[in-house]
Amino acid sequence: MEKRQVRNNIRKLRFLNNEMTQEQLAEKTGVTRQTIIALEGGKYAPSLELAFRIALAFGLPLTEVFSYELEEETK
Amino acid sequence: MSYQEKNITVSLISHLFILTYYLANLFPIVQSGEWDANELYALWAIVIGVNILVTIIGSILTNILLTIVEAIRSQKYEDPRFITDERDNLIELKGIRVSYITFSVGVLISVFAFIFGQPPLLMISLIFVFSILAEIAGDIAQIALYRRGL
Repeated sequence: MEKRQVRNNIRKLRFLNNEMTQEQLAEKTGVTRQTIIALEGGKYAPSLELAFRIALAFGLPLTEVFSYELEEETK
Repeated sequence: MSYQEKNITVSLISHLFILTYYLANLFPIVQSGEWDANELYALWAIVIGVNILVTIIGSILTNILLTIVEAIRSQKYEDPRFITDERDNLIELKGIRVSYITFSVGVLISVFAFIFGQPPLLMISLIFVFSILAEIAGDIAQIALYRRGL
């Protein structure tokens, strides 16, 4: 089976949303700032619920925030 | 360093103190070769009691101290966001797994020591050592996961 990983545009979307801080996004989604940092760094794949909460915070559909890409493409 | 990391660091330090205390009291008994059951029961009771007390008091004190430090730093009092999210839970579960594996290996070593002719009191003493080591291993694993991001 081909290896894939969850990627996201959180950093870009924060910037486009009035330069929202990591702390503000963390408060909106009910997680710690460290979790937002881990998500942006691609070190942590969120649960489906958290992914929806983040998409809601940006007012976008899930697929515009998260993608499921081949690992080779990311290297 | 996040609130969780600070909490785990406090737990790690207290477990290291408990292990040091236990080993410092256990070694003279092992060296003398005279296994006094009453002396060992008293030592185990102290270790269990102190472990429970330190865990509870350490957690409360850490919370209070961090709230005070946060209030001084931000120059105002507001409820600090000491929340635990899904990533914290995942890291905690991974830490528990490390503890469980360490303890299982420790129990095996202790049982083998008994099979190969060591006194049963040494076996139980070793199980106590590995139970504290398991807590330490779990704490270290959690700190490492927090440092790495996960």
